Amino acid sequence: MITSYYRPRTLQDALALAARPDAVVLGGGTAVNAHPGRPPVVAVDLQALDLGGIRADAGLLRLGATTRLQELVDSELVPGVLRELARLEAPSTIRNAATVAGTIGTADPESPLLTGLLAFGARVGVARAGSNAEHPLEAVLDDRDLLRGSIITGVTVPLGGRAAAHGTARTPRDVPIVLAVACRDADGTVRVAMSGVASRPVLVDPERLGQLVPPADFRGSSAYRIHLATVLTTRALASLGGSEPA
Amino acid sequence: MTLTLTINGTSRTVTCEPHESLRTVLRRAGLYSVRYGSDTGETGAAAVLVDGRLVSADVMLAVQAEGHRIETVEGMSVPGQLHPIQEAFIEAGAIQSGYSTPAMVLAAKALLERTPNPTEAEVRDALSGILDRETGYLRPVHAVLRAAARLRGEEPAAVEVVRLDRLEGSGAAHRDRDDLPPIAPRVVPSPDVPATRVVGHAETKTDAVKLAKGNPAFTDDRDLSGMLFAKVLYSPYAHARIVSIDDAAARALPGVRAVIHHGNVPRVRYASGGQSYPNPLPYDQVSFDNKVRYVGDRVAAVAADTEEIARAALDLIKVTYEPLPAVFDENEAIREGAPVIHDEPDMEGAHDAAHNIVHHIEARTADVEPGFAAAHRVVERTYRVHQVQQTPLEPHIAIARWDSDDRLEITSSTQVPFHARRMLAPLLGLPVKRIRIIKPRIGGGFGAKQEMLIEDIVGHLTMATGRPVRLELTREEEFMSSRSRHPQTITFRTGVDAQGKLTAQEMRVVANTGAYGTHGLTVQMVTGMRGLSSYNCPAKRFDCDVAYTNIPVPGAFRGYGAPQALFALEAHMDDVAAEIGMDPIEFRRRNWVRKGDPLDIAPQLGEGDVEAGGTPVITSSGLEEAVLQGQRSIGWHRRSDPGWRQPADRPHIRRGLGFAMAMHGTAIPGLDMGGASLKINDDGSFNLLVGATDLGTGSDTVLAQIAAEVVGVGVHDIIVYSSDTDLTPFDTGAYASSTTYISGTAVKRAAEQVRRQIVDRAALLLGVDAASIDLHDRAAWAADGRSVSLAEIALSTLHQQGQHQIMGTASYVSPDSPPPFAAQFAEVEVDVETGQVTVQRLVMAVDCGVPINPVTASGQVEGGMVQALGYAHCEEMAYDDAGRMVNPAFGPYRIYRADEVPALEAILVQTLEGSGPFGAKAIAEIPMDGVAPAVRNAIADATGVRINNIPLTPERVWRALQAS
Ligand SMILES: Cc1cc2nc3c(=O)[nH]c(=O)nc-3n(C[C@H](O)[C@H](O)[C@H](O)COP(=O)(O)OP(=O)(O)OC[C@H]3O[C@@H](n4cnc5c(N)ncnc54)[C@H](O)[C@@H]3O)c2cc1C
Ligand code: FES
Repeated sequence: MITSYYRPRTLQDALALAARPDAVVLGGGTAVNAHPGRPPVVAVDLQALDLGGIRADAGLLRLGATTRLQELVDSELVPGVLRELARLEAPSTIRNAATVAGTIGTADPESPLLTGLLAFGARVGVARAGSNAEHPLEAVLDDRDLLRGSIITGVTVPLGGRAAAHGTARTPRDVPIVLAVACRDADGTVRVAMSGVASRPVLVDPERLGQLVPPADFRGSSAYRIHLATVLTTRALASLGGSEPA
Repeated sequence: MTLTLTINGTSRTVTCEPHESLRTVLRRAGLYSVRYGSDTGETGAAAVLVDGRLVSADVMLAVQAEGHRIETVEGMSVPGQLHPIQEAFIEAGAIQSGYSTPAMVLAAKALLERTPNPTEAEVRDALSGILDRETGYLRPVHAVLRAAARLRGEEPAAVEVVRLDRLEGSGAAHRDRDDLPPIAPRVVPSPDVPATRVVGHAETKTDAVKLAKGNPAFTDDRDLSGMLFAKVLYSPYAHARIVSIDDAAARALPGVRAVIHHGNVPRVRYASGGQSYPNPLPYDQVSFDNKVRYVGDRVAAVAADTEEIARAALDLIKVTYEPLPAVFDENEAIREGAPVIHDEPDMEGAHDAAHNIVHHIEARTADVEPGFAAAHRVVERTYRVHQVQQTPLEPHIAIARWDSDDRLEITSSTQVPFHARRMLAPLLGLPVKRIRIIKPRIGGGFGAKQEMLIEDIVGHLTMATGRPVRLELTREEEFMSSRSRHPQTITFRTGVDAQGKLTAQEMRVVANTGAYGTHGLTVQMVTGMRGLSSYNCPAKRFDCDVAYTNIPVPGAFRGYGAPQALFALEAHMDDVAAEIGMDPIEFRRRNWVRKGDPLDIAPQLGEGDVEAGGTPVITSSGLEEAVLQGQRSIGWHRRSDPGWRQPADRPHIRRGLGFAMAMHGTAIPGLDMGGASLKINDDGSFNLLVGATDLGTGSDTVLAQIAAEVVGVGVHDIIVYSSDTDLTPFDTGAYASSTTYISGTAVKRAAEQVRRQIVDRAALLLGVDAASIDLHDRAAWAADGRSVSLAEIALSTLHQQGQHQIMGTASYVSPDSPPPFAAQFAEVEVDVETGQVTVQRLVMAVDCGVPINPVTASGQVEGGMVQALGYAHCEEMAYDDAGRMVNPAFGPYRIYRADEVPALEAILVQTLEGSGPFGAKAIAEIPMDGVAPAVRNAIADATGVRINNIPLTPERVWRALQAS
């Protein structure tokens, strides 16, 4: 439970606060506030920092940490597939508050946007007192210690590729049971990312989908998820088709 | 901490805790339009604008909003003038309970400020964060488009009834229809229906303005000084004995005012279902027991100064449980050796508690075996329907207090205030005369609130503390501890002759009533009644066991046993048609009941005193016309178009169309009773007091229209008050599709008394014969064109001459329950590689007699179809092996959102039902009945695969496709 609240004005102040063991960084707060834990925590709200904004330069899309999901949906600079996945991430009332970094921090196992960012080969800028680093998104999702005491400053996404997403869900806008996003970079590298087949969104080898051991729930057994993985990967790769940019 | 918030342009200083949500703080500051739907932000009932952006105030801290511009709907209208968006919501009929209307209005404002000319898809996306269980989103979406037009300076067309030509016998049935305005109510008029001035017109709702403005109107909007907050401790076990409870630490916590549990609350037996006296057996509940029977069962309750303290106190109650084996499936529960759920010696009225059989129900019209023996074909199939929840956006909430006369006053979001008062009295040890139940506006109910669910807890706690006590369930508690729909295993066996006529039909049901009986008997009687009434058949047999299990308790849910029965029946009728190679509609047509046919199973499965009246007979049916209208709207001929069924550019897609017929009841004959009183005011307006409980359905408006028609005024000259056990006449409550028909007839009769008194005075004032006087346009008219206004009549009778109060009081109980009929159609796309089903369009053509208000009636159908689609397609209460619900939140528990609902069309086929007020029958529940079988039959049409379980989720459909 949040017992005190800070709205630092500089990244330096924010990093000092974030280093406290009881600190919780707030992006939009939609995840933190929905599931407040019992132990007392200190909220470090990033809203006063200048960490937002969407820029494209030198073939890279730069998403500021506090960029709201709705800004992604609305931005012409963002590849269409990512815009649609940001829309699928959460409904209107949440997208207007939830941030890119908060989505990474939440690491929802079924996050459509994270699945898309993985397929696009996104990298995450992470600052901590005294150091800055950039990690592949996959590393950040794998190793939660990378974010401990740190602040995500932004995400970079290579532009110029082509991507396609195919999912299966109970209803048209429901979180997919399994989602496959395929992306072919400008240099021809193809990546396939998937949600619903592991405890977090993962990059998969399309040739070895049978080796997945998806966790089952009431919406889909493990065997069904493997079947979907195969069908949806095939569709996503087929949709990449020619080589026009995404 | 102290914050400065800018709310609706005014800077305000508020104190709050750092963890408090913006919703909590805004409500405390008196902005009651920001409503509670859950703590996790997914309902959108608490959406507000922050710097012009629509955000959920549930999941934003108040302190995060400091320095930003906050807007709520309270800031949108100036006194006496609504914002054009609010006006558009009212005109479009977009407001039902109105609980989430302020949030939708704000969503529209944010959208239109950025995008003055939005597409329908953009509107749907903007509304995607606001869940609505009532409208099906059609009218809200078009309300936003209307508002957009008006704000751009265009004047949108009025929402007026579109009259469709009758198709029966016209030869035009299979011709394409012109496009119609999306929210204009479609009515197929009957030549039998006389012209009326108010009834049958698209009047706006009487409560719409206050709901559009977000005025305080709901239970939670009462703020009493000294109020305590209650929290309930729920069982973590599906089945366990409580060995001991130690509440010392909880009591010692500062701010805790009372802790109650089985050790200190009298053990009084009851049944919680809100039903007429005497409540049906069994009496298998007590306020707090020494045994728990499902995860979510009550263990103890606390009242404390704040919600946080109450929650902390729950953690301090030490309960020692002795876990017992549990059983969840109805078929396993009634097997020899299953754990016995009700082994307490003082429980009353179960059929065979030692075998978990609460009820055994049997009915038959004749021996079925000769019919099966003589049949050309006998088809037997078993179907399974699952557990879903009503999920009104406003959870259960009740506030109790002692009034100045030391009477216990409970404000509660209930559908049954009068039943609740009577049922509470013995539990609390108070006479009925010392209890008053007030039902303010309700944010939806759907049957979940046809239950005395939490009123006893606040009553006990107020009696223990002497203070006002408020209890509101969280969304998770609502899922795990309130009520739901009964799961059933249903087997139909049907004999047909060579011409496709039924020779015998048998329906065997094993139903699951969870841990307690409540509505277990009557829901299952309705299952038998509805399952065996739609079709004529010389021999019918119903056999049903109702089982106790350790799942959370099913109860009343809109449709009450009929959606289960009709899923099985209408799937089965399609299956039988396929077996004998007959068109599914033609097969049904050979057998469906028509005007004059007897409802032969009704005398054995009715609740009320119907046997006195003998076997009921169908007195009106628009079914044939409804089927033709529905076929035309859905484009039924496409079933035989291979190019449409299998689109060339999408090889894994198959398309199909499905049909289901539905027939429902209108009130419980011989049992449901409603009262009304009507009195005139000095200005010729009237107060209408009714016990009927408008849940958002528009019943207050419909009742006002009935009164207005009779006394010759406009609907807004009738001030409706519903309902309060101290102030209004008795009414059984809002259930069983009874309000328009039963309470409506009571209103009509009370109004007719008033009319006679008005006419008498008018005759005196005008010096003419009373028989020649006509009432309309707020005046009484003589044949020669002279008139005297109702205001003059009121002033004359109240102040001037032979003074008396013009008033009337009447009540009504009906010997009949004339069935409404419906033709439900669905269009689907099936992805045959993944099993994903996309429902493209739902059409329901319904004969509800004369729709008193075609807009609210259409709204009932549109919203009902979407709720029914959830049952068919995506909603399910899922459990782990220990019986704990794993998806007690919206999202995992999927209800349809604005940005994904299929196209919807409601068509109202008029018939003149002689027994109903102005020819009306019911419409509220029948929309729940046909969607699941129509979607299932559409999947069968698309793929050839017949699936006998719902919901039709991707894996289930894929597995069926694999197996075929
Ligand atoms: C109603 C609702 C519906 C939703 N639907 C979906 C859905 O369908 N699918 C889905 O995948 N998700 C869904 N979500 C989850 C949603 O995507 C997340 O809530 C949101 O993306 C979190 O963003 P935020 O900025 O609000 O995060 P916050 O709540 O602010 O933070 C979330 C986590 O990230 C950390 N964090 C935030 N910013 C930083 C930073 N700069 N550096 C380091 N750590 C940081 C926080 O400390 C915290 O641990 C839904 C959420 C809600 C409330
Ligand atoms: S409209 Fe009648 S078959 Fe098409």
